Amino acid sequence: MELKCRINGEEIVLRAEPTARLRDVLYHAGCRSVRDSDDAEGFAGSDTIIFNGKLKYANFILFYQAEGAEIRTAESLMNGREINYVQKAMVAAGIVQSAYNAPAAALILTWLLEKKPNPTREEIKEVLSSIFIRDAGYEHYYLAVKLATELRDFGEFKSEIAPSFRPNLEVVGKPCGKIDGAALVSGEPVFVEDKVPENAWCLHVLRSPFASAYIKSIDTSEAEKLPGVAAILTAYNTPETHYMQAGQGNPEPSPHDRRLFNMKVRHVGDRVAGIVARTPEIADQAAALIKVEYEPQGAVYTVEQAMAEGAPLVHNGEVIYNAGAPADLAEFNKLAGDKREGKVVYQFPLGADIHKNIAASNKGGIGDIEKGFAEADAIVERTYQTSQIQHTPLEPHVCYAHIENGRLVMNCATQVPYHVRRIVSWVCGIPENKIHIIKERVGGGYGSKQDILVEDLTGYAAWVTGKPVYYRNTRAEEFYANSTRHPMRVKVKMGGKKDGTITALFMEVCANTGPFGNHCLTVPMNSCSKTLPLFAVDNMAYDLKVFYTNTPPAGAYQGYGTPKGTYGIMMAMAELADKLGVDYRTMVEKNHVSEGYMLEILKGLGEGREGNVVPVGSCGLDEAIAKGCEMIEWGKKEVSEDPDWKIGKGFAMIMQGSGLPGLDHAEAIAKLETDGTVILNSGGADLGTGLDTISAKAVKEILKLPMEKITVVSGDTDSCVFDTGAYASSGTFFSGNASLTAAKKLKEEILKEAALQMNEKVEDLDVRAPGEVYSKATGNAISYADLSHAAIAGDGRGQMVAHGSYVTTASSVPYGAHFAQVAVNVKTGEIKVQKFYALQDAGTPINPEIALCQMYGAAMKSIGHTLYEDMKLDQDGRCINANLTDYGAPMIGEAPDDFKAVLIDVNDEYGPFGAKSISEIACNGAAPAIGIAIHDACGVWMRSWPMTPEKLLRELGRI
Amino acid sequence: MIYHPKTPQEAVDLRKEHAGTAVYLAGGTDDLRLGGAAGGKDLIDITGFDFNTITEKDGKICIGALCTLQDVIESDLVPAFIKEAAAFCASFAKRNSATIGGNIGLRRSDSYMAAALTAADAVLKTVTPHGEEDKAIGEYLQSDCMRLIEYIVIDKDRTGWVRRFGNTSSSHAALIAAVSGGRYALSASGSELAYGTAADLADHMTFVDDMTGSAAYKKYLASTVFTLGR
Repeated sequence: MELKCRINGEEIVLRAEPTARLRDVLYHAGCRSVRDSDDAEGFAGSDTIIFNGKLKYANFILFYQAEGAEIRTAESLMNGREINYVQKAMVAAGIVQSAYNAPAAALILTWLLEKKPNPTREEIKEVLSSIFIRDAGYEHYYLAVKLATELRDFGEFKSEIAPSFRPNLEVVGKPCGKIDGAALVSGEPVFVEDKVPENAWCLHVLRSPFASAYIKSIDTSEAEKLPGVAAILTAYNTPETHYMQAGQGNPEPSPHDRRLFNMKVRHVGDRVAGIVARTPEIADQAAALIKVEYEPQGAVYTVEQAMAEGAPLVHNGEVIYNAGAPADLAEFNKLAGDKREGKVVYQFPLGADIHKNIAASNKGGIGDIEKGFAEADAIVERTYQTSQIQHTPLEPHVCYAHIENGRLVMNCATQVPYHVRRIVSWVCGIPENKIHIIKERVGGGYGSKQDILVEDLTGYAAWVTGKPVYYRNTRAEEFYANSTRHPMRVKVKMGGKKDGTITALFMEVCANTGPFGNHCLTVPMNSCSKTLPLFAVDNMAYDLKVFYTNTPPAGAYQGYGTPKGTYGIMMAMAELADKLGVDYRTMVEKNHVSEGYMLEILKGLGEGREGNVVPVGSCGLDEAIAKGCEMIEWGKKEVSEDPDWKIGKGFAMIMQGSGLPGLDHAEAIAKLETDGTVILNSGGADLGTGLDTISAKAVKEILKLPMEKITVVSGDTDSCVFDTGAYASSGTFFSGNASLTAAKKLKEEILKEAALQMNEKVEDLDVRAPGEVYSKATGNAISYADLSHAAIAGDGRGQMVAHGSYVTTASSVPYGAHFAQVAVNVKTGEIKVQKFYALQDAGTPINPEIALCQMYGAAMKSIGHTLYEDMKLDQDGRCINANLTDYGAPMIGEAPDDFKAVLIDVNDEYGPFGAKSISEIACNGAAPAIGIAIHDACGVWMRSWPMTPEKLLRELGRI
Repeated sequence: MIYHPKTPQEAVDLRKEHAGTAVYLAGGTDDLRLGGAAGGKDLIDITGFDFNTITEKDGKICIGALCTLQDVIESDLVPAFIKEAAAFCASFAKRNSATIGGNIGLRRSDSYMAAALTAADAVLKTVTPHGEEDKAIGEYLQSDCMRLIEYIVIDKDRTGWVRRFGNTSSSHAALIAAVSGGRYALSASGSELAYGTAADLADHMTFVDDMTGSAAYKKYLASTVFTLGR
C-alpha cells in the first residue's frame, strides 16, 4: 500500500505491505537511527520514535497505522551536519559508547527537554525506562541531561564532567569526548547492517531441536529446488576442517573441536544446515523442506552430570595433538566412538580427557597448602555456584560478506578482525591475502564478539556461492546459539589465624564450557589468576577442571573467569572473618598484596604456558579500600524504619590485567599526509570503548596537532597492521601503546626530515602546536604541511610514515574495590541495592569520562548477573527464557539509588601515559560485595548467583 | 487481512465471524510482540473507536478501554493504587501504546491491571455478539473472548494498595496483589485470578512452577502479602 505521512517535518509518500512493521519501513526509508535490538520484544527501545507527539516503539506500529502520522526520528535532531545540544551533551558525558541505541536515547531526552525544560531525576528516570543501556550504565545520563540544559541556557557546559588527570598533558586524562561520538549519536550508517545492499542474500540457519543427537540423514533436495535458494550447506557438503570459534592468539589454547557443520549436534540450537536464499521468507520455506533424521543421544547439562561415572560423552571422536601428544594417544583413540563424532585437535596439551568430558584442566600452587591449613585457627570450605549469563549486546551478532575482485570482503562487528581473517581463511581454505575484514562500529560486544560465531559461516557461504550474503542472529539465537558466560562451581577452602592472617587458600574450579571448548582453559584459569594474586599468602593452590556439556555454548565474557573466582574467594574470606570473629575490612587489609610483592603464584597460571612471575606494580588497592570504606561509612549499622527491611554493607577487592603480556601484540602505522594532517592506522578494534580516541590523543600529545587534524582508521585488515584484538583488557595498554609508539616514531621521522629541509641539527628541533617543527637554536620553523609538501615533491625523500609495534612481558594490573549497601526484606526476600560505589585504579584514565561510564556499565552488568540474569534450560536443554524480558536484563529500575564510580589516581610505569585497563575489572566486584552485604543485613550467605528473592527465602527457611 | 470496523458492535461481529483467525488490535504491545497473538492472524483494528477518555460521573470514574497505561497514570481522576498498577508496566514508551483494555482483554495471568481493578470492584462495560453487557473482571475472564471492552468503571474515591513481585522491573511478575475496601485480589503467574473478601486467597489457589518462580515461592508470597501490607 501507499500512504502519506510526515517524517521529520517532511511530507513523504511511503510504500510497503500494510502489516509491515513501521520500524522496518522507516529504516529502509533512510531513518537509520531506528534500529531493532529485540525483534519487536518492546524491551530495548532501539526502535523508539516520536509518533504523533508520543514516544513509542516503532515495532509496535504497523505501516498502515502511519497514514497521516507525524513521525520524528533521531535524524530530526541534526541541523545540517551538526548534532543537537542533547547529543553534544551525551558525547561529552561519555555515554555514547557502543551506541547502537544512542540516537534513540538522544531522541528520548530531547523529547523530555522539550516537554520539561528542567526535568527532575525521577522524570529522567521515567523516560529512560524505555531503553536498555548495557554499555555505560544509566548514571551519566542524568549528567548528560544536566549538561544539555547548561549548553542550552549558557552556551557551554558548567558542570564537571569527570575529574582531570596529568596537568602536564593537553588531552590525555581530560574529558574531551569520543572522536566518533557525533557519528554514533546522530545515527550515521556506521554499523554492519548499514552496509548491506538491498540485493544481499540472506543466510538462515536450521538449528537442532535436540541437545545431543547424530544426524542420521539429511535430505535437502526439495529445499534446493525452491526458486531463490542458492545453496544449502550441511556437514555433508562443507569442509572437514576442524577449528574453534574463540578469537585467541595462534596457536590457541582452545581445542579445535568443531566443523562448520557437525554430524553430531551437541546443543539445542546447534547448526544443522545453512540456507542461502534471496529473501528470509524463501529461506524459511526452504528450512521447512529440509528433512533431517536424528538419532538422539544422552545429554549432560551440569558439571556434576558431566563428571558422573558413565555419563554420556559430548565428544568421543579421534583426538589429535599438533604438539605434545601423550605417549598413550593411540590407545586412547582406540576408544573413539562413532565416526560422526568428528575430531578434537589440540595445539598443545590442555589437561583434557574427552572420555571423562574434561575439556581442559590445570592445577598448581605455591608453598605447603596442608601445612598452611594445619596452622590455621579456623577453616572454611564453601562452594559457590554461578549461572549461565548472556552478554546481550544491543546489536546482535551480524555479518555481511561479498566477493569483490576475486576476494572475500567481510563487514564485521568484531573485537578481533585479524583472528576473524585467520579463521575464515582456514574454513574457506583460502589464503589471508584473499580476505578483507572491515571492522565496522560494534554495537556492543562484551567479549562475545571476540568469538567468530557468525563470520565463519557467513564468509564461507559468500565464498562458495559468490552471492552477497547477510546474516544476523535473532535475539533468541543470541541466547541459545551464540556464547555465554561459563557457569562455574567454585569451591574455596581458606584457613586463617585469630589475628586475621590467612595461612592457606585453595580454590577448586569446575567450569561448564558447553558443547565446544572455546576459551575452555583460559576462562577458568582467570578465575584463579586474577584472584589469587590479590593475596599475600604463602600457601595457595588451585585445581580447575572444565567439562563439556550439552548446554548452549560458553565463551569469552567481559571479566572472563574473574567475576566468578572473585565471588567465591571474597565470599569465603568474609565467611572466614565471620568465623574467626575478625572485622572483614581488617582481614582484607591484612592479607592483600602491595607494590613490590613478588607474585610467585603466577608461575603456573599462564594461558597454556608458564606464566611470568612479576612483582606487583602500581597498585591503588589501599586507597580504593580506604576511600570506599569512608564513602559507605563502613562499620556503621544502618537501620530501616520498616522492621521487615534489613540493611547491610559489603565490599570486595578486585583486580584484572591489562592484556596478556608475552602473548598480545599490537601495531599501528602513523602517516603524515600531504597537508600536514595525520592518519593513524591502528590494528586495534574499538568496540565502543574509545580506543580510537586514545590513539588520536596519543598522536595529539606527541605531535601537537589539533584533534581535528588526526584521523584514526582501525580494525581494517587491508589498511591496518596486525593486532591480536580488543580482549583481555588489552586495548588501551597494547593498542594504545602501539599508537603511541607509532606517533613517537613519526615524530622522529618528521624531525629528521625537517633537519634536512631546515638545514638544522635534529637535536635542536622539536614540534609544537598547531603542528610545526621549530628550531630551539635558530627560532626557524616549518609547518607540517610545508614539510610534507616538500617531502613528497618530485625530488623529495618520500612520505613520512612510522610503524609502531608493541609487545611486553610487563604486567600492569588495575586494582579496585567495589562497595554495596543493600536492603533486604526478610519477609518477601526482595533485595534492593541502595548504594554501589566502584573505586578503581586505572592508572592514568586517558578518557576519564568514558572510563567512568565503562565502570558504571560493567558494574551494572555485574549487578544484573548477581541478582537477576539467568538462562533457564528445561529438562531437554532448551533455553526457555531466550528473550531480554524473561532473562532478567536489568533496566534503569534496577540501577542503585546511589551509584558512584571513582577513579583512584595511580600512575603506571608501563601503560601509555601511565594508563591501565578500566572496564573488565568492573565486572568483578558486585557479586561478593552484594553477597557480603546481604549477610550483613540478614545473616544469610548467598552461595549461588543470581541471588534471587526465592533463594533468599529458602535460605531464611521461609519456603 | 485487516478489518476496520465502524462500530464496536461490528468489531464484535467480525470477531465472532472469524473466531480463531482474527484478533483485536489496539496498542499492539502484546499482539505484535515477538511471535505475539497477531502472528499469522487477521487483525480487527479497534484503535479508531472513541472510548479513549477518562471521565467522571456520579462518583464513578469511567476509563475508556483504549486509554493507554500512561493516560491512566497521568489522569487526575484515577485512584492512586490503580495508577500504581499501571506503572507496573515499567517502560514509558510501552505505556504510551499499551491500553488498559488490552491488558485485561489479553487475559494474561500476570496482567498489570487485573488484580488492582478486581480489588477495586471495577465493572467492565462490554459489547458482546448479543449487545452490551456489564461484567466484573473475574466474570469477564471466565467468559468467551468475543466481547470487546469499552469502559472500565470504578468508584471515584476508591483507595487501596497494590504490590508486585517480579525478578526485575521489566520482567513478568510472579505475583501481583491488591486490596481495596476489604476486597482482595491476586494475579499469580500461571494461575487464575483469585479474589474475594478474605485474605486467605492463597489457600484456594493452584500455583505452578514457571520462569517467574516456583509454585512454593508464589504460594508463600500469596499467603504472606496481605499480612505485610504495601
